[in-house]
Amino acid sequence: MRSRRVLRRSILWMALGGLGLLLVLPAVAPAQEEVTTSLRRYKDREASTGYYEDYEVEPRGLRPFVGVPGALRPSFPYSPKAAEIRVRTYLADSHRAVKFYEVMTCVACHAEEARDIHTTRGNLTCRQCHGGEPIASIAHYFSPLNPVRRHAYVCSKCHEGSSASFATYVVHEPNPGALETRKTFSSLFYADWFMSLLIVGTMGFFVAHTAVWVSKELYHVFTEKERKPEDE
Amino acid sequence: MNDQVRIIRFNVIHRLFHLFIMVTFLIQGVTGLCRLLYITSWGKALTNFFGGYESVTTIHCRVGVAMLLGFAVHLVYILLKVEWKALRQNLFHPDSLVPRLQDVIHVGQRLRWFLGLGPPPAFDRWTYWEKFDYLAVFWGVPLLGVTGLLLMYPLVTSYFLPGWVLNVTLLLHRAEALLAMLYIFIIHFTVGHFRHGMFPMNECMFAGSVELEEVRREKPLWIVRLEEEGKLAEAMVPAPARWFRVVYFIFGYTALAVGLYLLLILLIYRNYV
Repeated sequence: MRSRRVLRRSILWMALGGLGLLLVLPAVAPAQEEVTTSLRRYKDREASTGYYEDYEVEPRGLRPFVGVPGALRPSFPYSPKAAEIRVRTYLADSHRAVKFYEVMTCVACHAEEARDIHTTRGNLTCRQCHGGEPIASIAHYFSPLNPVRRHAYVCSKCHEGSSASFATYVVHEPNPGALETRKTFSSLFYADWFMSLLIVGTMGFFVAHTAVWVSKELYHVFTEKERKPEDE
Repeated sequence: MNDQVRIIRFNVIHRLFHLFIMVTFLIQGVTGLCRLLYITSWGKALTNFFGGYESVTTIHCRVGVAMLLGFAVHLVYILLKVEWKALRQNLFHPDSLVPRLQDVIHVGQRLRWFLGLGPPPAFDRWTYWEKFDYLAVFWGVPLLGVTGLLLMYPLVTSYFLPGWVLNVTLLLHRAEALLAMLYIFIIHFTVGHFRHGMFPMNECMFAGSVELEEVRREKPLWIVRLEEEGKLAEAMVPAPARWFRVVYFIFGYTALAVGLYLLLILLIYRNYV
């Protein structure tokens, strides 16, 4: 009986001591720079602040200026130099070596891109998002439009509090009905097909239905009118 | 008109619901087209009339929310009207707007009649196209409402869904709105106004009552049922007052003019849609 009481008291004192230590000692903190995965760092810091550290977006061991996925895939693959010129998505200056570039306007080449809601409704100019010269390709490591920092550097200028998820909105939306869109934005392509079929199906049936109905009624009216004098 | 025998078809609550959706739908149609066709001279002029792009957006969003609330009130109304103890009989009763197998048979019979292969079907209180008109709101308003809310709060949406969903949402919202406008301005208006026997206007949604002779011609089974149940006499109502007719004719034709004008605009600027 006595030993049980001693045991209880010792557990109580140990618990109180532990609580006291928790209050006195500095708060338990996770390792500040060492994280198990980059996803953890993203969730802890970048997602909450919307800002990225430089090391987070640096190319690390990769070459920063030319790294073209798929460049080696074609039958006659581009050399790194040729890829630098032909595939502009990854360049620091995406308009490098474009002839007479200084006297051209953006829409001279990118007419389709100027038809999006941001340009037509929001009255935004290209440079408000793409930045000044040299305009980096959107996938370039240091571009403000690189998906890793687009929301913080570009979207949040107007959409305060935008997240990386928000920045996946496709500003220069492809033509939903175009066959290429099936590869680049398949959900938009299939949504367009579904709605087109719904519109064509509904209107097709009811327009034909109403047209035949109205004509048939009118036909009956005229034939009855013609018949009446004879009947009388 | 005062000499005609009329029977009640829509009560005051039904007519108020119709009035509500009519007004909100037209406001949404006008403001939606202002936004869609903002890049055209027509869109800019009308948008400026409403106080600019921001004002049009605000009106569109607020009226959209009002529409959703109206839809919620309508759902509550339906839930209160349903007799839960006899749910099955209640749902598939001829007075109910729930589609039945009979409606499919009516579609077949009517198509046969169109081709001159048989007599027209005899309808009860609701025809299949009237049920479609009513139930189309049940897919249109939730689809437009949900996509509208997602677009109204894009940042909140992007917390739960990827941002590219907004591209798809906008497409769905626009296409469904387009379908709704085309259906109402072409089919609903033709059936309600321009059909022989209905011209110049099918008044029953405003007056609440319809001529007995017209019902005998178009929905004979309803009259037979009312007579069998001994309810025909109590369904009879006086004709609407002349001043009331003048009011709803002016209102109805204003709505018709707005709708046809929007349809014309859609046709003119079809390349921008």
